[in-house]
Amino acid sequence: MDPLLKELTKLEKLTATSAKSPSIVQSLDSLLHLLHQAREKFVRGECSEEDIRQLVQMTENKKRDIDERQKEVYSVLSRLGKALDKRFTTPLPTYSDLFSLPSSVTALERTIALHLLRTGQFEVAETFLNESEIKISDEQRNQFVDLHQILKALRNQDITPALRWARNNEKFLQSRNSPLEFYLHRSQYIRLLLSSHPPDPLPAISYANENLRPFYKEHEAEFRRLMTCVAFIPLPRLQNSIYKDLALPTLHFDLEPLFAKEYCASLGMSRQVPLRVVGDIGGGGALARIEKGRKVLGDRKGEWSQIDELPIEIPLTSENRYHSIFACLVSREQSTELNPPMMMACGHVISKDSLQKLNKSGGRSKCPYCPIETLVGSALRIYL
Amino acid sequence: MTSKLNSEGIMLFEQPFARVPYENYRKIFRTSQKNVERELGGVQTLSNELLTRTSSRSLSSEDALKSIDNMIGKVENLKRKLSDLHETAGKPTQDVMRERLHHLATVEALQSTTQPEFSRWADTRLDRWLVDWCLRAGKEKSARSIAKEKGIETLVDIDLFSDIRRIEDALGRHSCTEALAWCSENKTALRKIKSTLEFDLRMQEYIELSRAGNRIEAIAYSKKYLISWQETHIAQIQQLSALLAFPSTTICGPYKRLYDTSRWHTLAKSFRLAIYNLNTLSTEPLLHLALYAGLVALKLPACFDPVTKNVDCPVCDGESGDSPVPLGLGKLAGEVPYSHHANSTIVCRISGKIMDEDNMPMAFPDGHVYSREALEDMAARNGGIVTCPRTGKSVPFGELKKVFIS
Repeated sequence: MDPLLKELTKLEKLTATSAKSPSIVQSLDSLLHLLHQAREKFVRGECSEEDIRQLVQMTENKKRDIDERQKEVYSVLSRLGKALDKRFTTPLPTYSDLFSLPSSVTALERTIALHLLRTGQFEVAETFLNESEIKISDEQRNQFVDLHQILKALRNQDITPALRWARNNEKFLQSRNSPLEFYLHRSQYIRLLLSSHPPDPLPAISYANENLRPFYKEHEAEFRRLMTCVAFIPLPRLQNSIYKDLALPTLHFDLEPLFAKEYCASLGMSRQVPLRVVGDIGGGGALARIEKGRKVLGDRKGEWSQIDELPIEIPLTSENRYHSIFACLVSREQSTELNPPMMMACGHVISKDSLQKLNKSGGRSKCPYCPIETLVGSALRIYL
Repeated sequence: MTSKLNSEGIMLFEQPFARVPYENYRKIFRTSQKNVERELGGVQTLSNELLTRTSSRSLSSEDALKSIDNMIGKVENLKRKLSDLHETAGKPTQDVMRERLHHLATVEALQSTTQPEFSRWADTRLDRWLVDWCLRAGKEKSARSIAKEKGIETLVDIDLFSDIRRIEDALGRHSCTEALAWCSENKTALRKIKSTLEFDLRMQEYIELSRAGNRIEAIAYSKKYLISWQETHIAQIQQLSALLAFPSTTICGPYKRLYDTSRWHTLAKSFRLAIYNLNTLSTEPLLHLALYAGLVALKLPACFDPVTKNVDCPVCDGESGDSPVPLGLGKLAGEVPYSHHANSTIVCRISGKIMDEDNMPMAFPDGHVYSREALEDMAARNGGIVTCPRTGKSVPFGELKKVFIS
């Protein structure tokens, strides 16, 4: 953006009213001055033909000055335009009628409404729902209102509503091995420990006795660390000890995303905001990649939108891999229900079709990766 | 793939964002040029006239004074107009340009998508896309509401779209006046992109005159506005002349089509395309383009099989709840192709982590596969016994088999 900003700065300087070099305003002022002088002379009856001739000349001069000035602005402006051309070389592609079916519009409106609710923009969501056809049930809306009230309380260092929710959903959290409740108590414990002046560990210890001990079995190591760090208060000492991670503010801040994740999971919703995830992938290189592929492989009349599978691969970060994919290295094909991955006696996995092709007489197949042979019938279908 | 920031991929979306205020500024500059031409040109004419009449002694001093006052008025007027234009339009537009370029510079300076600054930037980007989407879908209140709540008024083009809406509404009321005014404001630019929008609008006004039976007026209209296009549109002009012989109830094909009121709808569409083109806006909402590419990258057959669904996957769309048909992004994914993968990636159904040499896949005797880490963790908590979450069957950890997926 630097070359663009540079040209913009030039433009700003050139058009500023307080510009150093003679600006248009100054030219106009001096023209006005001349006109007023001429007028006075006229009123006094001293104005000669020569004076008028001079006035004509001066008007022309000033006009020329102003035109020059405008030309300068124009040339800076076109330089800025050229810099834009240089920086943005590829225009956005056209996909006509994409997501324009009424059912798709409804789906997108629903996604946007839920996005606004999920991110806590309740007023905006209200306006949006009024301007669209979709309905979100009160129940669903209230779930998000509750979520944001609890998150707000956490931000204000109040763990009570979050704890209440965790207790009510104990089974669910246990099934996920979620450390949420333990971490809530941990945050409260550390706060109690560090907030006393002069340092007094007793309230914190009695809090731990009452609230942290039930978690001893699952979080034995962390429990010990928490109890030992008492020996390192106050804060400056703790920060220079091996327990300095317990002094970090993230210990408290991270509760918000953790809570949101568990809360959403309990409602069957993804841990990340879906619209952001998809948008970030699309706007973070995927579209550019698709367009490049289209150019290289050639796309006549938007055939790509008709096909079943994209002919090129779009790289994803491990965070955005949600499903297992098995591509057989022998056949280079992705597995399907009819052609599933099969594990041979040696533990190597190839597709069912490949396994059958490798079949030699006697119903044995030699593994393509190692010398071991497997009876075709004894290969195990695996479920990824 | 790493989380390295893909600047090229990001900037592909930002051309309109950077260009709209630039095009705006060019328009403002043209207005200022026109003003200078008109007012100063006027002053020059007056002063020259003054000179000729003084030299020919045909000028009363009153007239001369009036002429000078006139010139003073013009210069003062110009001065005021230019400073108004700069204060109310020029300067604010420059500020918008600066702010947007800075916004893009912020992301250019980042290295990785895992930085918190990127997350904030991407939040704003999604908000901008949502505003753009709402504006294009005619949800102006929602657009304003998002922009205000997020304080991103300078980063979105609400004014441009209100203008589009105003003109489109007029076309909806079967009035071409507003659209024609816009055409004359952007005459040169439209000519450059070889747009025939103006002719189409003129044609429609003519058709309406014919529909109302005002034949004389229609002929006058044709003389005034249509004939000038004869070099390029002679066939259409001839057809339009013949239209006068047909009533609006005609069943004669080509003329019936001319009288068809759906032409108004087409006009609104071509107006929108022209104004998007002039402002380098994409024909599709940015959100659509981003979602298209994002869904293509993610979509797999596994997303649509109840057995392999994953709530965290945006395509499987946890937000649809218990509904058997996808209601949200999964529905949109129906319009895009599946993603393509040449290599295997095995994601643990317990931990969500990708398995590799350090975290090997392990299979239950019935073939269900999970990551070693997750299974070890489970075994440690359950006295060495592991239970498959899909089948509920339990076996000792030792009975699991290592799986080699190359």
